[in-house]
Order: sequence, then structure tokens, then C-alpha cells
Amino acid sequence: MATTTNSSQQTGVVRSQGPSQTAKLTQRVIRNLLWAVLYIVISLIFLIPFIWMIFGSVRDESEIFKYLYPFGWHTFFPVHWTLTHYLDVLGLTPAGKLADLHFGLNIFNSFFVSTAVVVSSLVFNTMGAYFFARLPFPHKNLLFVYVIATLLVPLEVTMVPLYIVVRSLHLQDTYWSMIVPWFASPFVIFSLIQFMRDIPYDLDEAALIDGAGYFTILWKVIVPNATAGLVTNALLEFQFIWNLFFWPLIAVNNPRIQVLQVAISGTLSQTQQYWGRTFAGASLASVPVILIFLIFQRYYVAGVATTGIKG
Amino acid sequence: MAQIVNTPSYVKDVAATEGLMSQRRRRMIIAFLFILPALINFTLFRYLPIIASFRTSLYQYSLLGGYGSFIGFEHYTRLIHDPVFWKSLGVTTRFVIYKVPIQIVLSLGLAMLVQRETFGAGVVRSAILTPMVTSIIILSILWAMMYHSQLGLIQSILGIFGIPHLSILSNPNRALIGITIMMIWKDLGFSMIILLAGLKGIPGEYYDAALVDGANKWQAFTQITVPLLKPVLMFVIVTQTVFSFQVFVPVYQMTKGGPLDSTKAIVYYIYQQGFSYQDMGYASALAMVTLAILLVISYFQMRFLRAEA
Repeated sequence: MATTTNSSQQTGVVRSQGPSQTAKLTQRVIRNLLWAVLYIVISLIFLIPFIWMIFGSVRDESEIFKYLYPFGWHTFFPVHWTLTHYLDVLGLTPAGKLADLHFGLNIFNSFFVSTAVVVSSLVFNTMGAYFFARLPFPHKNLLFVYVIATLLVPLEVTMVPLYIVVRSLHLQDTYWSMIVPWFASPFVIFSLIQFMRDIPYDLDEAALIDGAGYFTILWKVIVPNATAGLVTNALLEFQFIWNLFFWPLIAVNNPRIQVLQVAISGTLSQTQQYWGRTFAGASLASVPVILIFLIFQRYYVAGVATTGIKG
Repeated sequence: MAQIVNTPSYVKDVAATEGLMSQRRRRMIIAFLFILPALINFTLFRYLPIIASFRTSLYQYSLLGGYGSFIGFEHYTRLIHDPVFWKSLGVTTRFVIYKVPIQIVLSLGLAMLVQRETFGAGVVRSAILTPMVTSIIILSILWAMMYHSQLGLIQSILGIFGIPHLSILSNPNRALIGITIMMIWKDLGFSMIILLAGLKGIPGEYYDAALVDGANKWQAFTQITVPLLKPVLMFVIVTQTVFSFQVFVPVYQMTKGGPLDSTKAIVYYIYQQGFSYQDMGYASALAMVTLAILLVISYFQMRFLRAEA
């Protein structure tokens, strides 16, 4: 940087601005450069595993290990590109069929379960939030405490107890077992109440005087005015259910109805032999959710920040 | 809480003008139908499991045979004398004590680093949040591969600095640290979002005033940022403590509780008793005790929160 200062002092135009001005400019350039370097390093710390995974899923198996040492460009970047691993895990190749891989089916299951939960959760939580935010009822506060106190029930600790209940309802090993426990959520109700409180009460008053029932008011007045909240919670709920692992692991044994997350853990990683396939399966399970997140990031952040919850 | 569920006055007026009791009662029943599905769900799937689990803990219960003989609190006395239970409690506590403070400090630092509304800061924010939205099982699989003592990416990166192959997950002294690093990396984004929202709530004039008074940046941080952020910080600490105490998936996927039980966290031990050893009765007793521990932690932390607010 010393050279920059010297050369600028030699040119008359810059000199007229004075040396302190030039020094300031140089300082700003250096500062911005340091910021950029810092930003790049931090981003890489959080993204490198994903970069390794995605590139690893589209290269020959042997390459993953061949270029590991010394660390360099080709540690990540493929020399020879291939889609074999994806075809394998989807069960579209003889090798994939032989290993009994059917991730297409597992992706369908994940998608089906997540969608069913999002839809049912939107219906029942919206109704619940509407009740608390806007309907008259005696001792509503007590009911609210009953709902909110479930936030204190630790999820992972009660997974095994939950299994005891689901088993006595004879729902284990069915799609129902993965959907029914999640159709209502204290987080979503709490979050939707916040959104509904901002809607002017004159609106339902007018509708009520016109003779509309509660369902009509909810559908015609509240829902259109709370779309931001509904979208946010739909996204968080979808991500929460799609990423769920512990519950489907214990609730479902049948591999034909098992979701993707459990299928990957069970069929690929435990043999520790096919890294390419593991990368391909992991990419299929994570990249769609990451893309959805990047597109709707604003909603996600607002949702997490207002309710302080995970999914 | 009262504010949230207040009944708007006009609803009462309308109900009153209608006059008829039956009409009011009909409206009340309809209103109740709105909350009924959620109440059924919470009763069946959030509260009943705790009751069922307590009942199960008093019986011999196997997945195959169902309920056996009533044995009272025998599972609980067994638990007190079970060295693996105490070890798993120790492992879990160490995990929380390693993870939460480092995570909070790092996420506060990162929040302050990326709170500017520039393109670069936005990109870094997205990068930090990416592990947060990825499922923990996928990250556990990936990190187990990265830690691999021969073929792992981390070994390759350490190679740049001339560090030879380092066994991590297979070493009883390092496995828990390996899991902790991954979990801090994953959960940083979550606490950062909440702290960012907290930072946004601090009026900029406070900082301007401090600068006029001749305060430097460090003084502004300790005198303004930290005190005003305290409620948010407390909230993050509470939720992250309770959440981290329940670590399960990375243990299940990366180490199976090993080596030498050095990563056997309490929820993994519950799972193992219930599903590997088919002893649901004992698993239920373990779950009840863990639940009690978490409620006590939440209680004390809630008292803190209330004192702050």
C-alpha cells in the first residue's frame, strides 16, 4: 500500500487533495478488503460441508479420496462428472436395485407426510389462534395456559413416551403415526395469535352484524388478512416435519412407508462403503429445503425471531 | 398473556343485544369447536405421554410382551444405582456446558458483524443460516464423514497446517468435543437470528449519545448493548440449554454413545433402554427423571427471565 501513496503523491491531481485524504482513501480500501476476506472466510466455514457434499455426489467414487491430499482445488471440484450415484439411490440402476434403494419412494413419503402435516396444521392452528385472538369464551385464559404449557414439554425426552401412546392407539407403523401427533402446535398457535391481533376488530364486527358466522368471518376476513403469518408458519412447519428424524425412526418400521431422513441413515451411512451414494442421498434430502429457505428467507427469519422457536 | 386473549368488547355487546340465552350458548359451543381439535391433540400427544410414561415406569413392560407385573418404584431405585445413568447425566451436562456459552458468545459476535444492511452481510447471514435449516441427521452423516480419521475432509484441511491424522469420533477424549463443535456450528444461526432481532430493538440514538460522551466501542458494547440485550440473551440461554440437554441424533448417528460411553447422552440412553434392550419400563423411568430435571432447569431460568422483565 505504501507504493500507492507514493505514486499518488507524484501525480498533481491527487496531491491537490492533500495527503490525509489519500491516506483515508487507502485506509477505506484496506478496510473493505479486510471485511470481504472476513466475510468469505465465515461463509466458507458454514458452507464447505455442503460444497463437499454436492460436488462429491456428482463425481466418481474413487475421486473423492484420490484428491484428498494434498488439499487443493480438486479436493472439491470433480474431474470426471457423473450422475450414477443419484440413479443408484433412486433405484434406477441394477446396482441400486441390488442394494434395495428406493429413495424415490422415500422422497414421496417425506413429501406426503410433510404436506399432510402442513395442511392439517394450518387448518387446526388457525382455528385455535382465531379462538384465542377474537372469540368470546369464559375462562379463556385457563385454556390458553393449558395450550402454552405444552411448550414446557421437552420434545426429544417425550418421544419414547409418545410412542407408548401411539402404540396403544394402534397407529404405529402407519402414515397416521407420522402425521397425527403434529396437526396442532403451540408454537404455531402462539405465532398466529400475534398476526391476528393486528387485524382491526371493526372488520369482524361488521361481518357479525351482517349475520356472518364465526367460520365465515375466519375464512373471509381473518385468513386473507393473515397470509404473511400463514406462509411463515407453513414454511417453518414444512421444514420441521421434513427434517424430523427421531420420531419416524421409532414410529415406523416398514421401509416402504419410511421417510427419506431415516432411509438415508439406515441404508447408506451405516455400511460406510458408498460415499458417493451417501452424498447423493444427503443432497436430495437437504438441497430442496435449503433452496426453499433461500427463496423465502425473509419469512423464515421473521418467524423464528417473533416466536423464538425451531419449527 | 391476559392481553393476548382479551375478548373484544363489541362481541359481548352483540351477544347481549341478542338477548336469548340459547343463542349465546349456541355461539359459545361453536366457539369451543374452534379450539377443540388443538385441545384433543395436546391432551393426547403432549400430556398423555407423560402420564402413560409414569404409569409404564411402575411396571415391567416390554415391547413384545406388553405390561407385566407392577413393581412400584423399583425402576427408580435401579436408576439411582445405575452407573451408566450417572455417566450419561455427566456427559449431557458437559455437552451443555461446553456448547451453550461458546455458542452464545459466537452468535452475539456474528450478529454484530452481519447486522449491517449490505450485500456482503446478507450473503454471510444466509450462509450462517444454512446449517440451521438442514436436518440434523444429514449434518451428522456429513460430519462423521468429515471427521473420518483417514478419508475425512477435516484431515485434509488439517494437513495444510502439517497436522497428522487425528482420530476424533473414535477417541474417547475427543468424540464429545467433535459432536459439540458440530452442534455449535449448526445452532449458531438460530441464536444469531434472535440476537439480531434484539440488536435491532436498541435505538441508535443510545450509541450516538455514548459517542458524544466520548465512549469507545468497547464501552458502548458493555454499557449499552449487553444490558439492553439481557432479556433476549437470557431467553436464548434458557431455550438453548433445554434444547441442548436433549441431544440425540448426532449421538445416534456418529458414535452410538461410544467410545466407552463417552458420548452417551441421556436421551440416547433412554432410546437404547427402550428400543435396543426392549425395556420400556426402565426407559420410562429414565424419561420421567430427565423430564423432572428439565422442568427444574426451566423453572429457575424462568424466574431469572421474570426478574429481568
